[in-house]
This record gives sequence, C-alpha cells and structure tokens, in this order.
Amino acid sequence: MQGWVRTSRVLALAEHDNNHALFVFMSSRMPPQLFSDLSIERVLPVDADFRCEIDTDSKHQDEIDVFVNISSRKLKLLFEMVPGIKTSNFVGEIFRAIEVFTKRRGPPPEFEWLHKYASGVGGQRNSGNSLSGMDNPTSDTLESGVEGLTGQDESLTDALLGSPEISVPRQSIAKGATPIAARESVIKYQMAMKEQHYTYTQVLRVYVGTWNVNGQPPTIGLSEWLAQDPEPPDIYAIGFQELDLSKEAFLFNDSPREEEWQEAVLNGLHKKARYHKVALVRLVGMMLLVFVQEQHAAYVRAVATETVGTGIMGKMGNKGGVGVRFDLHSTSLCFVNSHLAAHVEEYERRNQDYHDICSRMSFTRFLPPKGIKDHDQVYWLGDLNYRITDLDPWRVKDCIDSGNYLPLLTYDQLHQQHGLKNVFAGYQEGSITFRPTYKYDPGTDSWDSSEKNRAPAWCDRILWKGDGITQVAYRSHPELRISDHKPVSSLFDSQIRVIDAAKYRKIHEEVMKKLDKLENEFLPQVMVDNTEVIFDTIHYLESQTRDLIIANTGQVPVTFEFIKKLDDSSYCKDWLNIEPYSGFIMPGNKCDIKLEVFVDKKSACKLNSGEDKLYDILVLHLEGGKDIFITVTGTYERSCFGSSIEALVFISVPVREIPVGKLMELENAKEVTSTQDPYPIPKEIWFLVDHLYRHGLKQPHLFEQPGLNSELLQIRNWLDNGSPDPLPGSIHSVAEALLLLLESTAEPVIPYNLHSICLGAASNYLQCKQIVMQLPEHRKNVFLYLCAFLQEVLCHMSDNGLDTKTIEAMTRTEMYFIKYVVQCVLSISGLNEEQHVVLFAVPVV
Amino acid sequence: MADCPHTIGVEFGTRIIEVSGQKIKLQIWDTAGQERFRAVTRSYYRGAAGALMVYDITRRSTYNHLSSWLTDTRNLTNPSTVIFLIGNKCDLDAQRDVTYEEAKQFADENGLMFVEASAKTGENVEEAFLETAKKIYQSIQDGRLDLNAAESGVQHKPSQPGRNTLMNDQQANKDSCAC
Repeated sequence: MQGWVRTSRVLALAEHDNNHALFVFMSSRMPPQLFSDLSIERVLPVDADFRCEIDTDSKHQDEIDVFVNISSRKLKLLFEMVPGIKTSNFVGEIFRAIEVFTKRRGPPPEFEWLHKYASGVGGQRNSGNSLSGMDNPTSDTLESGVEGLTGQDESLTDALLGSPEISVPRQSIAKGATPIAARESVIKYQMAMKEQHYTYTQVLRVYVGTWNVNGQPPTIGLSEWLAQDPEPPDIYAIGFQELDLSKEAFLFNDSPREEEWQEAVLNGLHKKARYHKVALVRLVGMMLLVFVQEQHAAYVRAVATETVGTGIMGKMGNKGGVGVRFDLHSTSLCFVNSHLAAHVEEYERRNQDYHDICSRMSFTRFLPPKGIKDHDQVYWLGDLNYRITDLDPWRVKDCIDSGNYLPLLTYDQLHQQHGLKNVFAGYQEGSITFRPTYKYDPGTDSWDSSEKNRAPAWCDRILWKGDGITQVAYRSHPELRISDHKPVSSLFDSQIRVIDAAKYRKIHEEVMKKLDKLENEFLPQVMVDNTEVIFDTIHYLESQTRDLIIANTGQVPVTFEFIKKLDDSSYCKDWLNIEPYSGFIMPGNKCDIKLEVFVDKKSACKLNSGEDKLYDILVLHLEGGKDIFITVTGTYERSCFGSSIEALVFISVPVREIPVGKLMELENAKEVTSTQDPYPIPKEIWFLVDHLYRHGLKQPHLFEQPGLNSELLQIRNWLDNGSPDPLPGSIHSVAEALLLLLESTAEPVIPYNLHSICLGAASNYLQCKQIVMQLPEHRKNVFLYLCAFLQEVLCHMSDNGLDTKTIEAMTRTEMYFIKYVVQCVLSISGLNEEQHVVLFAVPVV
Repeated sequence: MADCPHTIGVEFGTRIIEVSGQKIKLQIWDTAGQERFRAVTRSYYRGAAGALMVYDITRRSTYNHLSSWLTDTRNLTNPSTVIFLIGNKCDLDAQRDVTYEEAKQFADENGLMFVEASAKTGENVEEAFLETAKKIYQSIQDGRLDLNAAESGVQHKPSQPGRNTLMNDQQANKDSCAC
C-alpha cells in the first residue's frame, strides 16, 4: 500500500566493509518464497542523513504495532512492524549501524557498493531517472512485513529466504482494533508529510558568537560584540571557552564565572528587543547561552542540553563540547560550542575531538536519543584550535597586515581538513575576511609577544549545516581586548518553518477524516442483489425457492449471519428456510443463499387463521459491520389443510371460494354464530374417507404405502377448489392426504387439554369411551366417523393387510398424530381392548 | 430522495472525534427510517449513548413522525442518552416545509438539542456529531452516565494512559437521507 494504502515490504540491513544500508524490497508475495519474488524498491545508505525513530507514543506498549520512522534526506518512510523480538532485534541492528557510522573516523564513505543496486531500481538519486514516488514523499507510506538480518550483501538472498513467516495485522486498523496510539503514529507521519501545506517560512536573524576569554572575568561590556548591528537578532547563541581556568572549575565543574559572564551577556544583548533565555549549558570552561526574543519564546519546545568532555583521558571537560537543542515552531535547531585540542601539530586530535563530540553528544530525553545530526539546522561554534601551518609566523603576519588572507587560508588546517572531509563533512563556513583571532597580547591588538611567538591563527570559527541558512556576516570583534583571543560572530538569516495554526487544524482534521474514511472502507461491505424477496402464491406443502446473492464488495473478508430480531426465537419464521444462514466470503467473492418457503402442517394453521403472514424481515448481520434488512413476502393460498375442524364444518363450498377474511373469522371465532347449519364433519374428511371406503378397502398396504407428492397436491387442489371431476390420485395418495389433513388441523381431534386425562384413562375402555363422548360435537363426530371407517378397513384385513399390529408399529414411525387417533378409534371399537387402550399413551404432536 | 438510496438495514461507521483533548470514538448506527422496519430497528436502540433524529425540512411528513420516534427513543434508551434533533436539507430553504422556530420549540419542549444541517453541503454535520460527543463526554464527567453500566453505550479503554477512548453507539433514525 502506498500513500494511504498499506503495502507489505521486506526490509534488510546490509553491511559492506563496515558500512550499512537499508534495503527496501517489494515482494510479489508475502512472505517471499524465492529471491525472484523480491525487487529492490529503494536503498538507503546509513549515512549522516539517515535517521530512524521509533514512535515514542507506542513504545513500551505490548500487543500493538511498532511504528518506525525512517528518513533519509527528503525521503520519509513509516514502517509498521509486528511487535516482538524480531522487530526489536532488527531495529536494534539499525541503531547499531547508525552508531557505527557516527563513530566512524575519516571522510564519509561514498557507498559506491550501493551503486549497482541503485541502478537496478532505476530511480535512486544517483541516476537521473526517478522512480515514481521517489521525489514525492507523500506516496511513500509503507507498511512492512519486516524481517531483519545483517550480513554481507552477497549473503542477503539466503538470509532473507530463511526468514520465518511474517504476518501483518493489516486488518487491525481497519477493524478499529488498533489502539489510538498506533493511529496517532500514522497521523503524525501524515502530518509530517504534509508539513509544507500548513507551515510557512519565516526568516529569523540568528546571531552566533564565540569567544575564548582566557579565564578573564567580564570586566568590559559586551555590546560591541553582541549588539553592534542596527537590528536585534531573533536568536542569540553565545559560546565561551576558557571561561574559568581554575582547578575548582576543572575538578568540580563549579565556577562563579558562569554567573558573571551570563550577567555580562544579558547586559550586552541588543537593547531593541527583550530576550528570553532558552538554555545555559557549561562544562568547565565551555559555556553556551541561547536566547530568543520574547515573542518567539512560546514556540520554543523540547529544549535539551548536553555536554561532552574530550580532554584529559579523552573524557575530561577541559576540552570537548556543549550543545543546546530545541524546536522553534516546526524547525529543530542545534547549537554546539566546542573547544578542541590545542597545539599546532595536533590537528588530527582536533578531528577526533570533533568526531567524539558528534558521536557522544546525545540528547537522551528523546527516545531514541537525538544526535547532533538529527536536526534541521546545526550551528557549530567555538575555539576549534586549527592553526596555520608550514608558514613562518613573520610571513603570516605580513600577509595579514597587507589584508591578503587568501594565501593564508590554504595553510589553514581547518580548510585543509574540511576539504579532505576529515572533519565537519556537510558543514559550511563563510569566507573569512577578518584577521586571525589568536594570539594577541591581552589588552592590545598586538600579536603575541611572548617567547613562544605563536603564529596567528583563526582558532575561533563558526560553521553551519542545514537548509535555508544564509550567512549575512562573519566577523571578529577586535575591540574586545581582555583575552588573547578576539571574539567572533556570525549572523544568519535562517528559514524557520512556522505552523499556521488554522491550516494545521484543518489539515489535521482532514487527516483524521481520511483515516476515519479508510477505517470505514475497511469495514465489511457486501452487496445483496435483492432486499425485497417476493414469492409467488404459496400453496400448502409446495416449496418455493428464491436465490439471493451476497457479494463481498469490500476490502476485508466478511463473516455474515442471519440474526434473530429482538424477542424472536429464531432468525426466521418456521415456514422459511435459509441455506446457508451464515458464512464467510472473501473480498471479491460471492455466496449464494437459498431461501425456501415451505408451508407444512406446523405453519399452515397460523397462516390460515391470520396469526401469521407470509412476511418476514430478515436481519443479515456482517460481523463488525452493518446489518441489512431483507424483506420476504408471499401470499399464502388458504387451504383446508391447516384449518380447524370447527371452521371447516361451517364451510359448505370449497375453501377458496369463500372470501379471504371469512376463513380467518371462522378460525378465530370462539363461539360460532352462523345461521347456516354446520356439517356434522368437515366435508373434506368425508370426501377422502368416502373415496377410500368405496375404492380402497381392498387396497393392499393401505395407509402403509406413502402417496405421491404430486398427487397429494392434486388432491389438495381438488379439495380446496372443488371440481366436478372425480377425486384424483391413487388410493395411497388419498390415504396419505387423509392422514395429512387430520395432522394439520389446528388442534388434534382429541384436544390438547384432554391429553393428560387420556393418559390416565388409557387402561380403561369405559373411561376412554367416556372421554370420546365428551369431545366437542364436531370432533366427536369426526372421531366416531373415523372409527367406523377403520372398522370397515379392518374388516378387509385380508385384502388391505392392515392390522392392529401394523397400526401399532406405525405409531413408532414419524406419522404420529393420526395414528394416535386411529389407534384410539381401534381401541374404542373393542377389537382388542387390552392391547389398544395402551395407545392412548402414544406421544402426540 | 431520488439521488440517495434509502437505508435498508443499519449502516455502520466510526468516527474519532476530539473533545477536550480526549479522543472519542463514535460508533454510528444509521438505522432505516421506513415504518415497516420500525419493529426491527427498535432492537438497535439499546445501549445507545446518543441518538440523532433526522427529519427533512422540506417534507412535513417526516417532521410529523418525530414524536413517535421520540417515544421509541425515550422508551428504549436510558435516561442519560443524548438526543439530538436535526433538520436536514437546510440548503433547500426555498422548499422549506417546517420552520426553524417550530422545530426549535419542539426540541426545547422535549429537552432535545437541535440544529439544522445539510448532508449535501456538510453544513453543521460535523458540529452535530461533535456536539453529541461533547454532551456524552459531559454526561460522563458529571457522573450521569455510568461507564460501568452495561448499557451505557460507552467503553473506556484504560490500556492507554492519558487517553480516554470512548465507544459510543449512536443512532440516527432517519426519515430522510443523511449521508
């Protein structure tokens, strides 16, 4: 993923001749299986411009992704790494590589060994042809599957392929499961990427001064040095060396001079502005004071100071450096005041002091600690102690007197070493147009007249590094004569990135919104092809299906399920079946759902009575996402099946000929008040029984052999619609239709409330008979009618094969209630009293 | 309404809003407003910390339904649930069918927060969510909303020091489209 989209990358840290580089690979699959899966996206040398930061917000928090910011020059990358030992090892190796670079001696490496990789990607800064996104940092968001390894670059392949599988919790943010801290890292990164949109450049005047005061107290005013310009600077950074040469200062770093000189500086600052002290830092005789104009004070943040001693034993504070760093608005600044090793011939020692200060000056209040190089702008000042060599002191003085500095500068050790990149690589220095600042007889402008007769030198220097810095002045101040050095100062016009608060808020909001949007885009999304499923007319026992397609149109896998509505016991009505009712769909895939409506004896009566309708709202729930309502409707064709005996006896015409509401009315009427005389039994029962009586008594396997479904439907239509034609279907189908009709009545012939009494009476024929006689009239009629019919059936046992044992056997099958009735009938009929009263105990529907 | 499909079901989304330096994550449930879904959408009220009732200022019928929506909301949520009345489509002032004053009065009488907004132009949309979040946050601060109650609709994420994350079920009962 690029920009806002995440993609996986493989990172590798490679070492070549003690130089390191970070390789960013794209992989055609994750985790990579073969070397050919990988292509180099970019190669970042671990050099002075390489920075790596762990997002401090998410540090020390378990279970969440680690965010690592890596930047190299203008390029900024954000890697999200899986927390764990591997990541911490890898990041540790990166830091070690940075440390190796920082501690390195000599000129900065060229990283020539990387050129072949750079040309491979066609877009490294070494080739003119830019890889897309290379110069456009906003497209450089990376999430990575990360594996760390170090080793010779040639061995990269094997090590990479040997890396264990990496899983990237790419859904964690999507699902909103990623804690806000992790999200903050992304926001921070995005804000850094958009910095130019909400910041503008403000040019501030920076005054940098340095003076080796040779242990003298401030007996003179400093304004000739600090305030000789017409306009007040915005920032002062004033460094002293040899502030105090006493043993106390050296041993205990305790000096009354600190206060005295600070006072002198405060008095010497430009009078046209009021200043706020940012920091004071001192190590023995080295002191650095930083002030900003009061108007800027509110925008100074993250102030830190640090000292590095490089003197005696390489540690003591008689030599070394002190530093102050802070953020002003959106720009990070670092000022370093150093006093490097003395003596003409010791230039290498001075170089080393510089490197020691670079590697050891670490602002530890940050995690990871910031070094000098980790700043947008660095100003380095101090008594660097570089001399003019290989020239006779008298010749030097002659050149100086004639104002001809140029030949001298070629003999200046700092110029030489800087040119060789042995020291201050990446730093700039303005051209020197002032007399050497060392060594004078104190109180005069005369060169050192001591026996040593030292050659003059530009010991006191000011250099800078960073973008947007223009030197305005570089000069010495010979009027200040108390020391054997002259103070030096430099003015800079420095571009500070200032945050436009309104724009910042706006962009911050946009970023937040964009992230919200992304998070929401990562929510499960599906398309359902139809949310209003309409069935044709549904008939009893006749199933109809409709297909529904759920397509995963989102970016994440979807787990779906039809869920129960509040107070419902099931996710759909009992006449509906959903297959499958839950499932899992990968992005881009579909799932076919089959909706089947089937009205059987369980649901028919409710539909006939109007207690239920063929209408349901299904709730299709996506796990962690939205719900979709799917409406299912159909019209149920009323039928004698599923009607009650009490209603049917009042209907003299086929069921479908009566008005829609009439059946419901009859079904719901407690006391039927009809002018019309009811039939003794429902005519439908009569039709079926009569047919069996006339045509089926001798049918072998009567009631045992099931009917044909198609014929059952024909019989149903014949009964419901009425027809002059004879009853269709085979005897077996008619027999089954009779059983079904009795089974599907709203209540069994023997009402539920009598079942326990029946159970109690099961062993007593007379009691059974009594119960039957107490049944509501139409039920009693039905019962006795069926009883009489079955007696007839049993009279033809030899032909139809039906005997009481068969009926008893049938009770153990699933054809339950009618058998119960039938057996009751049989028992009452007295054919086999002892055997059959037991049948009262048969479970009912 | 032709330009924007009805919600068929319950749309779900999240927003993270900052209130007094606290990040509040809103879980927003946008329920179908059609009458036929009413029985089903009732089950989504439970545990809502806030409810946004949206009507269409250009269609009086949507406004007329408000009292029954309000009854449902009051009955099915807890007393501390923040209810916000929103008159949508305020960009279509010429077609206005419900005056600001009338709706404002209804809101005042029923103790609702009220604003007119436009989903189309975005006017006051952000504000409505922000205000709701603020009010919920206030309720928590005042102790009216008990974070520990199962049905408060709010979760505190303690794993992150100095950062309160609130989960908040919001219901937008819409008679009209709010996007």
